[in-house]
Amino acid sequence: MDNMIEVKNLTKRFAGCAAVNDVSFTVAKGEIVGFLGPNGAGKSTTMRILACYLPASSGEAKVAGFDVFRHSLEVRRRIGYLPESTPLYPEMRVDEYLSYRAALKGVGSRRRRARVNEVKELCGLTDVGRRIVGQLSKGYRQRVGMADALVHDPELVILDEPTIGLDPNQIRQVRDVIRNLSPKHTVLLSTHILPEVEMTCQRVLIINRGRIVASDSPEKLRARLQGGREVIAELRGDKGVVAQKLYQLPGVTSVTAEEADGWTRFRIECGTEDIRPLVFEAAARDGWTLRELRQEKQSLEDIFVALTRTEQEST
Amino acid sequence: MSVFLTLWRRELAAYFLSPIAYAFMIFFLLIMGLNFYGVVQALADGGGNIQVMQAFFTWIFFWIPMLVVGPLMTMRLFAEEKRSGTIEMLMTAPVSDTAVVLAKYFGALAFFIITWLPTLAYVAILKLCGAGSAAIDYGSILSGYLCTVLVGAFYLAIGLFCSATTKNQIIALMMGFVLVCGVFFSGIIFAFITRDASVREVALLFCSVQHMMEFARGAVDSRPVVFYVSGAALMLFATVKLVEARKWK
Repeated sequence: MDNMIEVKNLTKRFAGCAAVNDVSFTVAKGEIVGFLGPNGAGKSTTMRILACYLPASSGEAKVAGFDVFRHSLEVRRRIGYLPESTPLYPEMRVDEYLSYRAALKGVGSRRRRARVNEVKELCGLTDVGRRIVGQLSKGYRQRVGMADALVHDPELVILDEPTIGLDPNQIRQVRDVIRNLSPKHTVLLSTHILPEVEMTCQRVLIINRGRIVASDSPEKLRARLQGGREVIAELRGDKGVVAQKLYQLPGVTSVTAEEADGWTRFRIECGTEDIRPLVFEAAARDGWTLRELRQEKQSLEDIFVALTRTEQEST
Repeated sequence: MSVFLTLWRRELAAYFLSPIAYAFMIFFLLIMGLNFYGVVQALADGGGNIQVMQAFFTWIFFWIPMLVVGPLMTMRLFAEEKRSGTIEMLMTAPVSDTAVVLAKYFGALAFFIITWLPTLAYVAILKLCGAGSAAIDYGSILSGYLCTVLVGAFYLAIGLFCSATTKNQIIALMMGFVLVCGVFFSGIIFAFITRDASVREVALLFCSVQHMMEFARGAVDSRPVVFYVSGAALMLFATVKLVEARKWK
């Protein structure tokens, strides 16, 4: 049993409209998977089904081999779940709350205090143990939610937008926490902040309008979606002639040029082969002054936009 | 079991973590104090041969707060968790729906009993003021309190059910109040106002005022016990189903 999460043909309808539509995916043990999608794409709904909060309309979801509907308690024992808005009891103190949650999740009374201290350390809460939850800032509350999700050392951690409302330093801390979970724990996190996913996740699931539109590592996704490469060359020389010569290089499909402060910037689209050495040789041969030569990397953001937009157009 | 105790402890503690609970207790005890004062006053003026605590349990100022405390104490329990979203945290923890409902219910019941405890001082006051043993019958006082807890147990269960139907505490309160009043007044109307003897006889079995008069006299009857316990159980069962209903959608 290598898969932590197995989702097969999962569908969830709300009042006739499908929030999640025939979704299938698996997450292996120890993987950190990012769930990516625009607002209302079905990320939270899928996570809520996995966390046994909502039932699916049809299809099947298993966590650690247990069906989320039929063996709900077994599943819930194995997951740590942080809902989107981080709901907490505002009148409790942080220590009180965490040890209450630990007890609820079956952490024995002897281990409880040690466990609470461990997660407090992990999430940077050591100084606020005596504070009342309702008086904490959004960032701290978010971290209390994280600590709660981790307190019983769950096999699977499901985090719905864990970095929302945090400042850049806190985001970095949360990212470190998540990355450190990796070998022992499986993590499924959702976000719509793309650099976030590139930095923390080994695999990305892009979901749009209730369907999975892509599932791969960020690098592979990039390679797959790019199709061709794009090379930027900025040089000084006769625009027409240079464009002509560049166009004759093998594999080049189009060349566009734009001029700025005496330099010409060529955008060369080509096949999968790297033509940068050829551009350099041509420049050396013909005496063009080359200022910049680089391959444009398509960011995950472009991929995301491309994927979600084509999906929208096709429906 | 340990999960139930954890939940129960939190539910009970939650009452004392909010200032509203204290305000509520003060208000409640003020009315009960007035009730006690009024009863003593009336009896001092020669109100017939009835014991002080027996009159205390049957006066109108006893019943008015009784009709509101159930819905008031329980309106928050599910409605607030639904409104703030903490229900999602609660229901994704490895706890059964039944454990959650029962913990909330017994937390409320414990708070109800704690709210009543200070009224035991009235007995002490009577004793201190030199009431003879003929005026204080501990057995009937005990059965009076027993009936109070039974009635409370039923009304709290009604209130809890109403709280589980909505995310708005005010709606839960109003709905609970209407249901409790419905149960209470239908008993009274058919027992005391109707002329039909057979209807009256049946209705007396469901009439809380009648039950209270019997119990405060010291006459413990098993039929009202069964009535209130099964009524509470029915409402709790309905509440569990209501909480489970999110899974039927």
